[in-house]
Amino acid sequence: MTNKQDFIEIKGLIKRYPHAEANAVDHLDLTIAQGEIFGLLGPNGAGKTTTLSILCGLISATAGSVSIDGLSMKSHPDQVKQLIGVVPQEIALFDKLTARENLLYFGQMYGLTGKSLRNNVENYLRRFGLTDRKNHRIGNFSGGMKRRINLIAGILHQPKILFLDEPTVGIDVHSTNVILEFLREINQQGTTILYTSHHMNEAENLCSRIAVIDYGKLMAVGIPAELIRSHAGCENLEDLFLQLTGRKLRD
Amino acid sequence: MWLFLIKYTASTYKETLLLLRDRAGLAMLFIMPAALVMIMTLLQDSTFKVLEEKKLSVLVVNQDADTFGINIVDGLKQSKFFHVIDSLNGKVLTESALREQVAAGDYQIGIVVRPNATRNIRENMKYNMLQQLPDEHSDVFGSDSIALSPPASIEVFFDPVTKNSFKQAIISALREYSSLVEAKVMFGVYSGVFEDMLGIKLKQQGMSTRMVNINEQYASTDEHLAVPNSVQHNVPAWAVFAMFFVVIPLAGNLIKERESGVSLRLRTMPGSDLAMIMGKVTTYFMVILSQAILMLLIGIYLLPLLGLPQLKPGHHYLALFVLTATISLAATGYGILIGTIAGSQEQSAIFGSISVVILAAIGGVWIPVFMMSGVMQVVTKLSPLNWSLNGYYDIFLRNANLMDILPNLTALFLFFVTCVSIGWWVNTHKNQPV
Repeated sequence: MTNKQDFIEIKGLIKRYPHAEANAVDHLDLTIAQGEIFGLLGPNGAGKTTTLSILCGLISATAGSVSIDGLSMKSHPDQVKQLIGVVPQEIALFDKLTARENLLYFGQMYGLTGKSLRNNVENYLRRFGLTDRKNHRIGNFSGGMKRRINLIAGILHQPKILFLDEPTVGIDVHSTNVILEFLREINQQGTTILYTSHHMNEAENLCSRIAVIDYGKLMAVGIPAELIRSHAGCENLEDLFLQLTGRKLRD
Repeated sequence: MWLFLIKYTASTYKETLLLLRDRAGLAMLFIMPAALVMIMTLLQDSTFKVLEEKKLSVLVVNQDADTFGINIVDGLKQSKFFHVIDSLNGKVLTESALREQVAAGDYQIGIVVRPNATRNIRENMKYNMLQQLPDEHSDVFGSDSIALSPPASIEVFFDPVTKNSFKQAIISALREYSSLVEAKVMFGVYSGVFEDMLGIKLKQQGMSTRMVNINEQYASTDEHLAVPNSVQHNVPAWAVFAMFFVVIPLAGNLIKERESGVSLRLRTMPGSDLAMIMGKVTTYFMVILSQAILMLLIGIYLLPLLGLPQLKPGHHYLALFVLTATISLAATGYGILIGTIAGSQEQSAIFGSISVVILAAIGGVWIPVFMMSGVMQVVTKLSPLNWSLNGYYDIFLRNANLMDILPNLTALFLFFVTCVSIGWWVNTHKNQPV
């Protein structure tokens, strides 16, 4: 039985891209417990997306190891991929397909079929207030509606772990609220969430723990409130973030 | 396996929906190849007909005014290929006017028969005969001595843009007429000698019967063989060319998925990427197959309405279908390869289209393989368009069956497998987990 504290375990993770001068991820060690909402925060180019890509099996690490629920992506790729759901930063959907067609397609890509898939799709569309738009093409949707469909496409198979890369970027308050409420809801039902964002308030309110990384290195990890308290002069997560990563502009 | 089948079926359905939703794109996939086949066949047919039906205007100045010159001009006039012009604006053509007209590009060919051509031929015939006769008959042509004369001369002027085939046609015609006149003169000279030495006067000067008859036929054991014509050559050639052009929408589709993040998202899901690739292959295979059938039907039913010969698809329909299907697979595989190795839509569009043009050029779509240089005739065997084209020619013109075209089918299928394998490898190579 897997230790729930080490549900996701990252050990000595290094990633250096070909021809790069520095490591994108540099000796990163992290453990994420089952049932956590874990925020991975950092400025642009800090190594958040690279870490997430390694966890999803999209790219290989230069050194170190990653295990999810005790399984290595290298030796058990299909089992690990069945455990995880991924919501990318891009709206990775087909504009010319309707919301329902998109969701049925991505559900089938996880091996779901028949009535259970159709029910899942209908339920999630209802949950996100998109039932009346289900037969409309995605290309005509607003940014917020696309984000919601983008999220549903990653959770149709009801994964144990959900990876989200900037799930609320570029959308209005209402859509953001619906998405965050939903994430809390599925977390209470047992889904572990690893999430990256630039919205510090959002992360402070949502995450049970956070890690701040910069230049691929771990700068701090812990419960947001405790981290803020332990750093003098910080009143909120944004202050902490700026203190740890500096105020210099990044690309 | 079950997951593979689910993913494959879903991908095929999704690709079909995407194609059907893009009506303009879908229409282009059928209208453009159909237009290409019709236009190219009509153009090529016109080129073939230039020599056969549209007479080529030839300027002629005859400075000989004797048997040789008269026969050359009459021969050209009686030919179905040439329209002889010996005067312009009511004035008899001169050599300088002829050269000006050809140099200006108003006419492509000008012929000048030099003075004394007939006399020189006749004198040389006599001279040659005297060399052969015993000395006691050295006065057979009278007491005057006979010397070797310069050969009869014809000058042919060409416009620099004249096609080589036209040049060859006129030179061949002139050689033929010259030979006829030479024979006629020789016969006359020999007749005179014959009469002089034996005292027998021949009733006519020349030969009244043709001694050699040349029959044109196509080598085949099949009496129902289709006659080769521009349609039999051009419809399959341009159909194959158009079929391979599907690389552009197919590669674009792959790159669009990559750029939108869909491809990355799909790679985070369990199972093989091959299911998604095969879904695309299946959908585009059906499109290309439909394109090809449409183009063949155009050759059979539409081109005759435009005054062109009808495409005769041979008698082995199974072989024709299997070949068309295998070419469709090969073209799809090539699209998958381009789509996976190209870095952007621009790269795939440029590399895809130019590479198909190159493969078509070396494959014999524009220039028949037998007209290529030795090296190019070897290189042409590397082009899948050549394997495709030869397969069609075998079925249409040589009545080949399925077994006869097996080498072409094998090469095309291996090309498809190789392209998809490389594409799949490239696609998954970047997906190495920790």
